[in-house]
Amino acid sequence: MSEKIVYMDYASSSRVDPRVVEAMLPYLRELYGNPSSQHSVGSKMKGALEEARAKVAALINAEKPSEVVLTSGATEGTNVALRGVALRNRDRGNHIIASKIEHISVLNTLKYLAKNGFEVTYLPVDRYGTVDVEALKSTITDKTTLVTVGYANNEVGTIQPIREMAEIAHSKKAYLHTDAVPAVGKIPVDVVKDGIDLMTISSWDMYGPYGIGGIYVKRGTRVEPLILGGGQEGGLRSGTENVAGAVGMGKAAELAMAEMAGDAERLSKIRDRIVERVLKEVPYSFLNGHPTRRLPHNANIRFSFVEGESLVLSLDMEGIMLSSGSACSSKTLEPSHVLIAMGIPHVEAQGSLLISLGRFNVPEDADRIADVLPRIIKGLRQMSPIAPEEVR
Amino acid sequence: MYSQKVMEHFRNPRNVGEIPDADGIGKVGNPICVPPDTDVVVKGSAVPIRAINKSDTVLSHDGAFHRINKRFSRAYAGTILDIKNRLGNTALTPDHMVFGFKVPRGDKYRYTRGKKRLVGDLAWWHACELDKGDMVAYPVPNESSDVSEIETNVEKSEHDFKSIEIPPRIKVDGDFMRFAGYFLAEGNTRIERCKTYATLTFNTNEEDNVMDACRLVRNVFGVDAKIERREERKTVNIVIYNAHAARFLRKLFGGKDDERSVPEFMMFLPLDKQAELIRGLWHGDGYIDVNKPRASYSTVSKVLAQQIKMLLLRQGIIPSVYEEKTRVSKGVHHRKTYRVFVLETPSIRKLSSILDVGFNFKKNPRGKAWIENGMLFVPITGIESTEYGGFVSNLEVNVAHSYVTPSLTVHNCGDLMWIYIKVKDNRLEDVKFKTFGCGAAIATSSMVTEMAKGRTIEEALKISRQDVADALDGLPPIKMHCSNLASDGLKAAILDYMKKKGITPPEGIKIESETEEKCDV
Repeated sequence: MSEKIVYMDYASSSRVDPRVVEAMLPYLRELYGNPSSQHSVGSKMKGALEEARAKVAALINAEKPSEVVLTSGATEGTNVALRGVALRNRDRGNHIIASKIEHISVLNTLKYLAKNGFEVTYLPVDRYGTVDVEALKSTITDKTTLVTVGYANNEVGTIQPIREMAEIAHSKKAYLHTDAVPAVGKIPVDVVKDGIDLMTISSWDMYGPYGIGGIYVKRGTRVEPLILGGGQEGGLRSGTENVAGAVGMGKAAELAMAEMAGDAERLSKIRDRIVERVLKEVPYSFLNGHPTRRLPHNANIRFSFVEGESLVLSLDMEGIMLSSGSACSSKTLEPSHVLIAMGIPHVEAQGSLLISLGRFNVPEDADRIADVLPRIIKGLRQMSPIAPEEVR
Repeated sequence: MYSQKVMEHFRNPRNVGEIPDADGIGKVGNPICVPPDTDVVVKGSAVPIRAINKSDTVLSHDGAFHRINKRFSRAYAGTILDIKNRLGNTALTPDHMVFGFKVPRGDKYRYTRGKKRLVGDLAWWHACELDKGDMVAYPVPNESSDVSEIETNVEKSEHDFKSIEIPPRIKVDGDFMRFAGYFLAEGNTRIERCKTYATLTFNTNEEDNVMDACRLVRNVFGVDAKIERREERKTVNIVIYNAHAARFLRKLFGGKDDERSVPEFMMFLPLDKQAELIRGLWHGDGYIDVNKPRASYSTVSKVLAQQIKMLLLRQGIIPSVYEEKTRVSKGVHHRKTYRVFVLETPSIRKLSSILDVGFNFKKNPRGKAWIENGMLFVPITGIESTEYGGFVSNLEVNVAHSYVTPSLTVHNCGDLMWIYIKVKDNRLEDVKFKTFGCGAAIATSSMVTEMAKGRTIEEALKISRQDVADALDGLPPIKMHCSNLASDGLKAAILDYMKKKGITPPEGIKIESETEEKCDV
């Protein structure tokens, strides 16, 4: 592998922006102290923490910085949002509504809640992966306390009609939570305009450091903390704050705000070139997800008659890193629940490739993958007993 | 995750391909099939799977028609499940996958609303995982293409000098479609020298229909029909004494009653034209009681019954199909009839508006079936398990990988690993493979061909799954079961060879994947 590695798996994990690392370094080297301390060393840290929080709040247009609660990551954020709201509002009802294509951290938290006396309804999606708003209207009741639908799907990239769903949720006095990890920093997200009550945010998804994330909690939302202790983060998340991480996340948010539009335009061009070339050059290839209402950096392409893990391994040999919706590459040996919910048959879902681009991709990357894919697919199809004669 | 050896075999698989004149072929994967008499919905009709041609296009779960790549057949001995619903019944092997969703047991899902919430669980289920009460999804064909006129194109008979010419082209409009309905229901043709004519037979109390049909004959063919009343039989015959018209009608709709069918192009016409067809059909042979409410149509043509089912589905009307066996009652021999019922109130409301029948049934009981997003959802009403021995078949369908029987949507899924062997002097001279699968599946296939080449048959039969995994320096535990089929494929190929040569296989040879119970039946 003499050529440089092409990384197109930013949905799995991202790269920390060097400028973020620079911003963080002082807090790992010379600066120290507990933001809760009364002395000046501590209050300096407090200042840095609050500055970072304000930057994140600005990115999502939260009314007040204090509405952003920092956690150890998005998974924790989702847990606090879902379990915290469900438990705290039990007096009002025990019904939660989610979509079928939520992230695994949402689905498993809901599974836990379902085991503990909550009733969870899962909304279907259409073949583009758009959540059925009508189904929400018909399933929501006065007992519903929470509706949780991802802002945009991390696998197929379809952006959901959050604003409409928030209106429906609010009409029944239910809260709307959205897992916006794949969207924040990539497309403009405005919690006020969209009527969002709780929102999960991740740091690394916007090229910030690992080990930190957050939730937006609209002022007045009734949430119960999961982690108890010193009452940091407005009592919602105790534990001495990760200041260096927060500073990094703040810097990442600041950069995202400045560069989001440019990044989106640049990445969508690369993405479109890949999709255009691959769909044209590879027979029996299809785009999964919504053709237009989708994240600018995401493409999910399905190839009939091949299996995704073989595809990922073959691309790896070419120095191109990607993920697949295949069962063979999952822990449960089940193909992607998102693709299945979209009505794609098992065998077809096996052959899907998730392309997620990031800030560090360059236009040449499009041709790198588009050049090798037809050959790789052809090779695998030649081996495949289910491929028709004409594509072997 | 994988050992270096696995990656090496994946990167560089040995012996990929087919052996054209192989002595034995082993296919492993899912032996999922249906018996050869199972009907499959093709463009415009339904034919038994054994009679499916490569040129046929079959209906898939996406509501579109797709080409067939292959048809498989194999011997099968074991359990067959017969799944029943209101559209009919379909027999299949227990691990054949069916499109639908599970309904949890309990009161709250007894009614449609509760079940409707589960539509999102729509997936492919093994037949043996399904129970009575679970819902199956059936696609409503969504392809549509309008035809404005058709050519009559009837050859003139040598001795016919007097029949008035009928127009060379006939407009396919509402009038023609309604006439087609009348004719399919009540029509008949007689084609003999000097006795070539077409008739439509109505009851004496159907005066409105008689007048309508006469007017349509005039409009469509430009000829006058003769009305012949037979009071003793309580029938009115409309006779079209025109050889061209009779030939044209026979060509278009078929001859005998039980071969009657709607021409293919009509099955794809826009809904308003098809509504006229339904109107004609129902005025002819149908029955509707708006007070009960229920409606039905009976015919001795199996194909026509299936077509009417599809026509109704396209209108958003939920049909039930019932097969009445041949019987003798009061000394009268009744032929096998197919009844298409409409039972749900909203469906009857739609049908009555097509038929122009007043309907003001107030009660709106919840139905057990519904149409949503181009899919009909109906509950399974029963599953019977029987022992079967004989051939079973399956199809491989382009793009959608599914096909539709008269009552179920099933997945095609073929074999995922094929091993070919060439035997010379009791030794495996050549071994080749084809595999659809992950890295491990490809590596094990490649490895087993290497291990088997040059060995005697007896030696090759002893290669186990574990041997293959060991030779690859191990496989991740999760892959041991699903991707390690190669040794089974090799065994299957050798057994195939032995069977062809009439050699009795040594005792105790088992194909490991087949001894594993995939489902509890």
